[in-house]
Amino acid sequence: MHDGRELELNVVALPSEQSEDPRIALLRLERRVERERRARLEAEAIAEGGTRALHEKQRQLKLLQTIATAANESSSIADTLRFALKEICAFAGWSLGHVYEVSRGDHELLPTAIWHAADEAMAGVFRDATLLTPLPRGVGLPGRVLATGAPAWLTDVTDATNFPRAQVAAASGLRAGFAFPVMVGREVAAVMEFFTSETREPDNALLALMAQIGTQLGRVIERKRAEERLVHDASHDPLTGLPNRALLLDRLNYAIARRRRDEDFQFALLFVDLDRFKLVNDSLGHAAGDVLLIEVGRRLQAALRQEDLAARPVAGAASSPHTLARLGGDEFIVLIEELAHPSDAVRIGERLIETLARPITVDGQEVYATASVGVATSTAEHAAAEDILRDADLAMYRAKSSGRGRIEIYDHGLHEVAISRLKLESDIRRAVREHEFTLHYQPIVALESREVVGFEALVRWQRSPQELVYPDRFIAVAEETGLIVFIGLWVLREACRTAARWQRAFPRPQPLTMSINLSPRQFQQPDLVEQVRAIVTEAGVAPETVHLEVTEGVTIDDPERTIRIIEELRAFGVGVGIDDFGTGYSSLSYIHRLPLDVLKIDRSFVLGMDASGEGRQIVRTIMDLAQNLDIDVIAEGAEQASHVDQLQAMGCHFGQGYFFSRPVEAAAAEALLAQGPFK
Amino acid sequence: MKGIVFNLLEEVVRRGYGEQVWDDLLDAAGADGSYTALGTYSDAEIVGLVGAASQALRLPPREVLRWFGREAMGLMAERFPGLFEPHRSARPFILSVNSIIHPEVRKLYVGAACPYIDLREEPDGTLTVGYRSMRRMCGLAQGFMEGAAAHYGERIAVEHRQCMEGGDAKCTMAVSWS
Repeated sequence: MHDGRELELNVVALPSEQSEDPRIALLRLERRVERERRARLEAEAIAEGGTRALHEKQRQLKLLQTIATAANESSSIADTLRFALKEICAFAGWSLGHVYEVSRGDHELLPTAIWHAADEAMAGVFRDATLLTPLPRGVGLPGRVLATGAPAWLTDVTDATNFPRAQVAAASGLRAGFAFPVMVGREVAAVMEFFTSETREPDNALLALMAQIGTQLGRVIERKRAEERLVHDASHDPLTGLPNRALLLDRLNYAIARRRRDEDFQFALLFVDLDRFKLVNDSLGHAAGDVLLIEVGRRLQAALRQEDLAARPVAGAASSPHTLARLGGDEFIVLIEELAHPSDAVRIGERLIETLARPITVDGQEVYATASVGVATSTAEHAAAEDILRDADLAMYRAKSSGRGRIEIYDHGLHEVAISRLKLESDIRRAVREHEFTLHYQPIVALESREVVGFEALVRWQRSPQELVYPDRFIAVAEETGLIVFIGLWVLREACRTAARWQRAFPRPQPLTMSINLSPRQFQQPDLVEQVRAIVTEAGVAPETVHLEVTEGVTIDDPERTIRIIEELRAFGVGVGIDDFGTGYSSLSYIHRLPLDVLKIDRSFVLGMDASGEGRQIVRTIMDLAQNLDIDVIAEGAEQASHVDQLQAMGCHFGQGYFFSRPVEAAAAEALLAQGPFK
Repeated sequence: MKGIVFNLLEEVVRRGYGEQVWDDLLDAAGADGSYTALGTYSDAEIVGLVGAASQALRLPPREVLRWFGREAMGLMAERFPGLFEPHRSARPFILSVNSIIHPEVRKLYVGAACPYIDLREEPDGTLTVGYRSMRRMCGLAQGFMEGAAAHYGERIAVEHRQCMEGGDAKCTMAVSWS
């Protein structure tokens, strides 16, 4: 700071001034003081400017910090935005703040209940009007912010051209306004608008600060969204977007608890399982399986929605009483709450089966995704969600095993069935381990010569020395569990060895043949052909004398693969035939495409020849077809002389049945061979 | 008291009475005299200067303050035009004292102890102004208001209804426009 001393020194330092006129010296001194004063004022002005800027900066930082802290501590977006409105109003001295949210699809702003008003009386009418004023993109002050993603300012809203609420704003005494976006990344998630009772010129510093706050608040929304996504992901199946097991159990437990309080409340659980999903996955690949599951989920959901509409014609009257969940794999669950009557559950189940009746196009192929449905209702005593889920599962299992595309309702008997099935499964495992299977052989006879030309090998299970179990009792379970693959390989090996032995012991110009059944599961094994090749070669039997028999169902699931496998087997030399022909669904035109050696007429048709002309007609049709295709026919179920006569008359050359012999043990079969042609 | 007030006082004294009189006042009050706008100086110094002026001008201290306030307003209008420009009349200017003027003063002069002013607009058009400050400088407040009126080319009458000088807890002034 300048003071008198320095001044004195200056005066003393210049000797010339001492000789000057004292009046002139005084004037010069005054001028100098004036210069010093001006310099001081300027310095002060600069310092004032700096102090003011610093002060502003501190206030801004404080506002940002306050809002950031609130944003981090609050779990509610609305609370955070409301707090921000209040702080900004206080900071900038504005009267009114409101948040517009962006609608789904980003094309519109919707008013919210998030407000701050310094003066309630002023806010009332304007707020009421705002609540009735959604704003399309680009319209009004907030609409402009939505369109541009940038803050906007109106010095006087009452004479703005693009401000639909101008009139009510004027009536409420509002003049200046500004708005800025709450940004999540580059997306406008909400728009905050502010108004005050005086006109105000645009304040770019304020808008720049608001833009920062907008980004800050956006992070809260982003975090909340991420949280919601996590919660959603944790409770939903990522493939179909449907609720997952956890969410289903949650709702189910809620329903059970409600049922405990309110006896009139009824619910049902539908266990929906696709019948041949595994096949789609195995043959068309997992991607195709996924497409199928998504479409199935979509259809089930649509069917349930129609149910909702039928039950509650008033749209939006209540939340849907249905929960469709995917448990994983091809298992879908429907929880139906507020069930009027248990029979409604069955009706809805039928509707679900129906909606899957139309084929689904996957990878350009039409796939029929039939489903089996098990129903468990709240009428049974259920302590926990897992119990009712298990019951619905059991009912579904029963539906599946009694034919596909069906509905079963759980009853207590099912539980016992399930337990005995479990026991059967573990017994079959033991049987595989302990080699408890044995083969019986049924001769195949040339109808003209009555000579035995070959045998069909049939598996039996010697469960105990006293108990011989027939395939109808265990094959289905073995097939489902996959144990059939081990059993089938054993049968193939054993039958081939027997064939080799008998061919040596009982030589014929046309060596004895051995027919062996392949189960669907076996047929799907990728290394089937190699296995057959290895076993037949190892047994030392000529491949031409081995006939593999598959059921019709096996062949139609994946025609291309079926044809390829059959061709490979035939290239090796073994014959391939269709067992139980006529009972499946294959069309006659389809049979044309299969490179077959043998058709076996199912015993039901042969037995049916007695009763009606129709039975005979079926057999005749199959015979004609086989003759046209140059395929051998073996008639099963030849039980009486009359059957044999009729079959012969129709040109059938081979038969198999009780008329000649039931399936017998190896020793008995050898005795038959030894005794020569049947008389 | 912030240095800006001393600067303003110096300025109005110099303009009205000349350089020498300001020097005389400093001598009479025994005051230092080197004040910068951003600095803070003892309240006793301003009281001493006002006292000295009161004797020199043969005016009561509150009249000195009033005169000072009136004159200083003109200087402030030059120095802080942003506070005056938004208004067309003294009334909204005075009404902005708590919301704009004093906050702005606090921004410029860290630590400024501005008094709190109650403002109430009466149905008859008068403005009731309440003043409460340890410094009891209601005369300065009155002078500021009169200076503001002069700035906008208006005349006001200020009637003291309560005064801290008379032992009241606060000063209440009724301001009316003529």
